Amino acid sequence: MKTWILIFLSLSLFSSTVFADELSEVDHFMKEKLSTVMKVLENKSLSKEQRDAAVLVQINAAFDFNKMAKLTLGRKYWPGLSTTEQTRFTSLFIQRMQASYLEKLDLYTDEQIAYNPPIRVNKNVHMLTELVSGDNHISMRYKLYKSKESGWRVYDIELEGVSIITTYRSQFYEVLDKGTINDLLNKLEQADGM
Amino acid sequence: MISRSPLILLSLFSLFMISCAGVDQSRVTEGTEGNLEAESLPPADQDPVSDQDHFSNQNPVSNKEDEFGELEDEFAAVEAEPVFDPLSGYNRGMTQFNDGFFDWVVYPVSEGYKLILPKGGRIAINRFFKNLFFPIRFANNVLQLKYDKAAIETGRFIVNSTVGLLGFFDPAESWLQLKPHPEDFGQTLGFYGVGSGFHIVLPFLGPSNLRDLVGKVPDIYATPLTYLDPVEAAYAAETHRRLNDASIRLGEYQSLRKDALDLYTFLRDAYERNRKAEIEE
Repeated sequence: MKTWILIFLSLSLFSSTVFADELSEVDHFMKEKLSTVMKVLENKSLSKEQRDAAVLVQINAAFDFNKMAKLTLGRKYWPGLSTTEQTRFTSLFIQRMQASYLEKLDLYTDEQIAYNPPIRVNKNVHMLTELVSGDNHISMRYKLYKSKESGWRVYDIELEGVSIITTYRSQFYEVLDKGTINDLLNKLEQADGM
Repeated sequence: MISRSPLILLSLFSLFMISCAGVDQSRVTEGTEGNLEAESLPPADQDPVSDQDHFSNQNPVSNKEDEFGELEDEFAAVEAEPVFDPLSGYNRGMTQFNDGFFDWVVYPVSEGYKLILPKGGRIAINRFFKNLFFPIRFANNVLQLKYDKAAIETGRFIVNSTVGLLGFFDPAESWLQLKPHPEDFGQTLGFYGVGSGFHIVLPFLGPSNLRDLVGKVPDIYATPLTYLDPVEAAYAAETHRRLNDASIRLGEYQSLRKDALDLYTFLRDAYERNRKAEIEE
């Protein structure tokens, strides 16, 4: 009996410290990435191209774009695609996400980030931040999962409670429910030129 | 003139509401439950895990499917609750109209307005109007039993109306760290389990739904601007407020629009999800 209690206690202690460590790991990781992005944005001596490139270095290290691409098609559509279709979709999707993210940064020039402590949701960790721009507070929730190869990575962002993956997913499904993957790829390509 | 029509609207819409609320309520509670599972039981929630194990035991071959893991379940749950949209034909047309109105009126006028007034001034005016809407935020925080937030809102109103020079500045936040807690009557209705009803796109104002439309009525009564005399002054003030607000967030709509494959469904889903998140807050 005693040994069981001991085992139980040590296990629970162990697991809680593991959880705490993971939370602070995510906290450090995201703060480092986001604060570097902010520093790049503050640096007015950079041209737009230099700035975008520097920001992309940071977000490519933090975001798992491949995972995001898969999640937007989901189990329903992703496995049914050929490898070429998957590659093509992924690259179009990534281009789009990056362009969209960079453009959003352009909107908020005098922004600051306020960090709230990260929270654990199932196996994942959510980093809660708030963009403060002028008089506006925009809540941004970065959702991270632990990937086997590269550690903690962002798989979704919620802007004011609206998930980016969900938004893309319902749009993609609308196209795919009625048409084919080629319709979707064409639409993505057209929109890219906008 | 203005005081009669909202009352009639309210009674008409409340009739609609009663017929729709029953259908929709189940949807709302379903959604909240799903979220509770995801949000409030972090380590103990084993359902998706065991589901997943089950899945991989059955098909040990499909590695590809395994990659999705529990992440997929999070998004699959959302699909089960589509937006109730019987007016989609009208809504689509109105979205096109509003989009054109933005390009041809809102955008050029706001650009002109920006030339006259520097950003600092526009932000101050925005704050002034927001401060005037204190009664809406206060009443709806109280109605949702969020007394602490109602108290914070009261503190903000007092500080900003006095030290903040009629609300043109926001010392309550910058000095005292008192953040705003906006709530409106649509959120209050949602708080008490009223379903969103059908989605409707309003001319000039954009996406809304039955619940939020009904919610606008008491909020209009709680807005000091409504009581300006003559009525034209109230309309002028409201127009100025919207123009000023648009000038501050000008790029937002254009940037958002680019994320859409289909503008109407994109704006509709974003609106409904954002409101749902605001209600659950």
